[in-house]
Formats: sequence, structure tokens, C-alpha cells
Amino acid sequence: MTREIIFVFFVAVLVIANATVADARPVSYPGGWTMMFMNNGDANTAHLHYSPTAKYSVGYKFEHWRDRGFNLNAAQLNGLVKRWNEKDSQANFYVKGGIGIASERGTSNDDMAGFAGISTDWENRRLFFQYENRYTEAGNIDDFFGQSARVGWAPYEGDYGDLHTWLMVEVDHSPESEDSFTVTPLMRFFKGVHLVEAGMSNQGEALFNYVLRY
Amino acid sequence: MKKIIFMFTALMVSFAISAQAQSMTGTHAEHGDHDNHAHVEQPLVQGAQDDKTVAGDVHVSVKGLVCDFCARALEKVFGKQEAVNDIDVDLDNKLITIDFKDGQSLNDDTIRALIQDSGYNVENIHRVTE
Repeated sequence: MTREIIFVFFVAVLVIANATVADARPVSYPGGWTMMFMNNGDANTAHLHYSPTAKYSVGYKFEHWRDRGFNLNAAQLNGLVKRWNEKDSQANFYVKGGIGIASERGTSNDDMAGFAGISTDWENRRLFFQYENRYTEAGNIDDFFGQSARVGWAPYEGDYGDLHTWLMVEVDHSPESEDSFTVTPLMRFFKGVHLVEAGMSNQGEALFNYVLRY
Repeated sequence: MKKIIFMFTALMVSFAISAQAQSMTGTHAEHGDHDNHAHVEQPLVQGAQDDKTVAGDVHVSVKGLVCDFCARALEKVFGKQEAVNDIDVDLDNKLITIDFKDGQSLNDDTIRALIQDSGYNVENIHRVTE
């Protein structure tokens, strides 16, 4: 029981990225390290990546899919295909993919797994739009597609180093799920190297994400 | 297993596209702005010194400077340059001010290349003369 509690606590603290979600900024600046812990109603994920250049990042991804009943350990590569820098806005188009091992919980069933998807975003200092998708193939355990879109609004424009606040709504679409659409209003707080997101979906599931960049 | 092979192939194609894009954006300025001579292939010597050293601050108007994270990226990249003493970021005006150490500077091409390597573009550079 104690071990289960520790595990649940560990996952709750660490995690946050579902499969369809919000790997905001999957590529950092040259020499930058990023840790992302994401949790939502479907999965808990941790992603550590390093960006040799501003064009791509390499890293390790762990995913704990609760209802699907498997864990995924993978090497992940993210590429910035195109960035549009304008005077007052920026847009990006990324590709993301990983390959590794999926392990079915409660069994000894391990199999090769992989995933691939795209992500695109546009933002200025007040508005934010993002779309991303991903197809996941967990060997002989599972395979599925998911996509999500996010809209955000900043109630004020903070200066460099200030606390930045965003009000956002995320819509997740998992075609094969019973409730294929999930809507999650959330708040994003960003200060210095820390980014925190917290929200609650229309299905009563909590979302909590933490990103550290250094 | 076929799906895994498909996934792996898709990944490789994605990476190839990404690498190609990286190569192209390194040799071209984006949107036809005036930094097409800032090549990422050109090795950036740490603390590259300009033989036309200009004393005083340099103001750089940067395109794409829309968030705190963007600003931090530039701060990190310029912070690694030996010639740079400090960098100030003004998000409101999309402007960075580079303060150099005494008697040191970076030339415009190096500044453009550093900013482009960081993922952003230079709109213009203004040197403050004393």
C-alpha cells in the first residue's frame, strides 16, 4: 500500500503530458535543457530534452497511460521545421517523434513502440493558438491517434522577468474514446525558468503541467 | 512490426525534413529581411572580436521576440560571449541592448548570426556612439 501511495504521489508530482498534449516548445535555445512533466485525464508523462541548436532537440520520454494499461519509455526527437518571426508575433511548425519500448502493466508483455506527430502554434503577447496531433503505436499492446487545440489569452503584458499569466482552453480529441472530446479550461503561469499549468476538464479530470527550462 | 517500421520511416522522413529546413533557414534570411548574410554554417568563434570594435552599447530590434522565453534564449546565447558584459531585454519594444566589456564588441554579422542561431531575426542594429 505504501509503495502504491509513493508511486501515485511520484506520478502526481512528476507528470503531466498526455499523448495528445501540449509539449509546448519542444525545441529550446542552443544548449538549453528542458524538463516537462505533464498530467491529464489520460496519462502522466515526463520528457527531458536537450537542444544542440534552436532547430531540434533530443531527449527521453516516459509515459504512463492509466486506462490503456501500459508504460512507454522512448527516445524522442523534435524538429523545428519552420519558424515565422514577425515584429509582434511568432509562429512555429514542429515535427515530433519517438521510438522505444512499451510495457503492458501487470504482464511481461514488452514490445517495440513509436509515435510521431506535428505541432504548430502562433502567439503574440496577448493571444496564443496551438494545434498538435500524434499517432502512437505501442507494439502489440495498443495503437491510437489523438489531437488537441489550445487557445490562450493574456490579461496583461508582463515585462521580462515578471510573472506572466495566461487563461487558456484546451480541446482534446481522441476519436476512439467514448467521450471523444475533452474541454479543459486552464491557467498558465510563467516566471523565469518555471512554467506551471493547472486546469480541470469537463469530465472532472485535473490537468497539471510543469516545465523547467535552463 | 510493420507499423513500427512505418513509424520509424515516418520519423526519419520527419527528421530529414527538419534537417533540410534547418539548412535552408541557415543560408536564407526568413521573409526576405536583411539578414541574409548571417550564416549559421559560419562558425561563431566564442567571443568573436570585431576588428572594427565600437565602444558603447548596441541596440538590436528583434523579430519574434514575443515572450519571456524568447528573451531568455537571447540572454543565454549572448551571455556565453566573452565580449558581452550584460544584455537587457525590452519585450514591449522587441529590443535588446547589448553592453560590451571595455574595448570589446561584436560585429553586426556576428550579432545577426547569434540571434538567428537562437531562432529569431534581426530587424535592425543601432550602435550607440559616445
